[in-house]
Amino acid sequence: MARIRLDGVTKSFGAVTALRDISLDIADGEFFAILGPPGAGKTTLLRTIVGLETPEQGDVFADEQRITDVFPGDRNLAIMFQNLALYPDKSVFGNLAFPLKRAKVPRQEIRRRVQETAEKLHIEPLLGRKPAKLSGGERQRVALGRVLVREAGALLLDEPLSALDAMLRLEMRVELKRLQREVGRTLIYVTHDQVEAMSMPDRVAVLREGALQQVDSPENIYHRPASRFVATVIGSPPMNFIPAVAEASNGHLRVVHEQFVMESTAPVTAQRLAPGAPCFVGIRPEDIQVAVGGDGLAARIYATEPLGGETVVDVRLGDRLVKLIASPALQLSIDAEIRIQFDPSRLHVFDGDGMTVLSAGGAQGVMRLESRSRSVGDTDRPVGQ
Amino acid sequence: MASIRLEKLTKKFGGFTAVDALELSVDHGEFVALLGPSGCGKTTTMNMIAGMETPTTGEIYFDERSMRDVPMGRRSVGFVFQNYAIFTRMTVHGNLSFGLRARKPRPSRQDIDQEVKRVAKIVGLSTVLDRKAASLSVNDLQKVALGRSMIVKPAIFLLDEPFSNLDAAFRAYMRAELKRLQHEIGQTMIYVTHDQVEAMSMADRIAVMNRGELQQFAPPLELYTRPANMFVAGFVGSTPINFLPAEAMPPSLLRRAANGDRRQLGIRPEYLTLVPRDAPEATIRATVRLVEPLGAKDVVHLEWNDHQMRALGRPGQRPRLGDEVGVLFNPQQVLFFDDAGRATA
Repeated sequence: MARIRLDGVTKSFGAVTALRDISLDIADGEFFAILGPPGAGKTTLLRTIVGLETPEQGDVFADEQRITDVFPGDRNLAIMFQNLALYPDKSVFGNLAFPLKRAKVPRQEIRRRVQETAEKLHIEPLLGRKPAKLSGGERQRVALGRVLVREAGALLLDEPLSALDAMLRLEMRVELKRLQREVGRTLIYVTHDQVEAMSMPDRVAVLREGALQQVDSPENIYHRPASRFVATVIGSPPMNFIPAVAEASNGHLRVVHEQFVMESTAPVTAQRLAPGAPCFVGIRPEDIQVAVGGDGLAARIYATEPLGGETVVDVRLGDRLVKLIASPALQLSIDAEIRIQFDPSRLHVFDGDGMTVLSAGGAQGVMRLESRSRSVGDTDRPVGQ
Repeated sequence: MASIRLEKLTKKFGGFTAVDALELSVDHGEFVALLGPSGCGKTTTMNMIAGMETPTTGEIYFDERSMRDVPMGRRSVGFVFQNYAIFTRMTVHGNLSFGLRARKPRPSRQDIDQEVKRVAKIVGLSTVLDRKAASLSVNDLQKVALGRSMIVKPAIFLLDEPFSNLDAAFRAYMRAELKRLQHEIGQTMIYVTHDQVEAMSMADRIAVMNRGELQQFAPPLELYTRPANMFVAGFVGSTPINFLPAEAMPPSLLRRAANGDRRQLGIRPEYLTLVPRDAPEATIRATVRLVEPLGAKDVVHLEWNDHQMRALGRPGQRPRLGDEVGVLFNPQQVLFFDDAGRATA
């Protein structure tokens, strides 16, 4: 078992800076995900931890021991690459035993560990088979087994589920989470899939262009994103952003849109959002409701996307498209005029640079929402429920 | 615009039947998705419609005219492939206008320019029209591919997994855009995908295929609420439907299955409600094995007498692992299937 720590790690490839001053502290036994779009530096980060890349600046620690200059094979870390690379001529047993044989583990011990690992992954009946005779999911389990069997201090997985079809991915997600809890080993998991990053880990690091954007629990990443970027990489459909203008009212922040005004009890801090500055109101699709009565903001239906259990409705609010989640029971047709309501306690505010000024959940102050447009009912009536 | 009718369409590759006696009618201006796992025959079907593959037997009609002797170039179909073939050394404008410039008589430069700008705006390329395609992101390349086939206004628009290389946020954006576009231009569209979210969200009707055979052809919500068989029931839905042996279920749940065999009971996760363990209305009591938070909701994995099932939960009321909870089945939403997996009620 191992705690993994990075201290100011920087890495470039020629003119491209792949990692910028990354500091991370991953606890012993933690399930830790690294999320980011392609090219964010996720794989480089993983390779730097295992020692396949050497940082220009900064250090890597395992359990307080500096391992920056330790040979990869001596780091007691196991990595599984995106490309599974099972040995086609070896049986499943042979594949699992290989890393142990190479490490000169005694025969009895190898048998015991392979058996134990196979049980955990439910692949004991397959031990005699060759990889070619396995299904995609079974191969994935074997590859995972080969990493597990080494009993390394930490396991590092690079997009392990990306090659699987949707159904299998769903199954393996559950399996991995169960497994990590069972073996209690530190697991560092690289992914570009927001559902994986949301559903499995204890904490998520969001990476963009080599720089850390936020390191937090999936819940906090979802409900209290540090920036527009973070708000976009997690959640499907993604958060909506509505351009508005910041104002100060008695020292408090007010956000003004053509159709609504949002008041908060949070103080205006001049550096973050000066009065008159452009800003964005962020709201997740599930926090917008179709108003059944007459109140709410006027919107026109642009498209509807039934998903079965729920329907994604795309509406035009002013000149912006906004996605919301509605019940499939609602009859909504394209180009129909409807009214929508937001839950004011679920709003986010971002400044012009995309940094978070206010987060949903009301931690920074109560928010109140008022309709501005005369056609939308009484001006002083709150729009939220 | 054109209607399409497939009559006993069959394609064999040696001893392998890729498409088996497929019957399908697509109306004028309809958006139809061909949905299924890889190897189900959806792409082969599309290739036959396009004229890239010749059917082994069966007929394809466009507007009731047989396409048997009509070559690909004369069918007035536009394609967007998974692997967009973009001219990387041309600008975006050059790529978009390519189809128009090849047309005889050639439209005026002004007309071409106007049309390119209109389409560029729809697909979101207005700001990069003068850039070389080689310098574009993957998302933008896909937009070029889409825009290029849109601009020639074919009678039939064929799309083969056009969004599979895009990131999730952009896919969500493009889904709405494509659906809106289809509504506006009213073009007949056939959309091939293995992603049930894409098929459900955009299509007027979905043809679900498996192993070369049509499983069901119906509007999205009908597929979802009245699947013809267990394959369809399992293939559509973001969180998979639960299948449980009917004989193990409390008799109160089985009342609706008056006719036919009822070997398997199917119920979607959103129709299971978690209630306190001792709640009298609980249909069964199960143990919480895993919770997967997805942000807006949780997927709660339950175990009951060695059967696994999934329910949807609210993040604010998250049960703990190992908790015993009551599970309330919505009896209106229970489906039944016979031994062969066919829906019976």
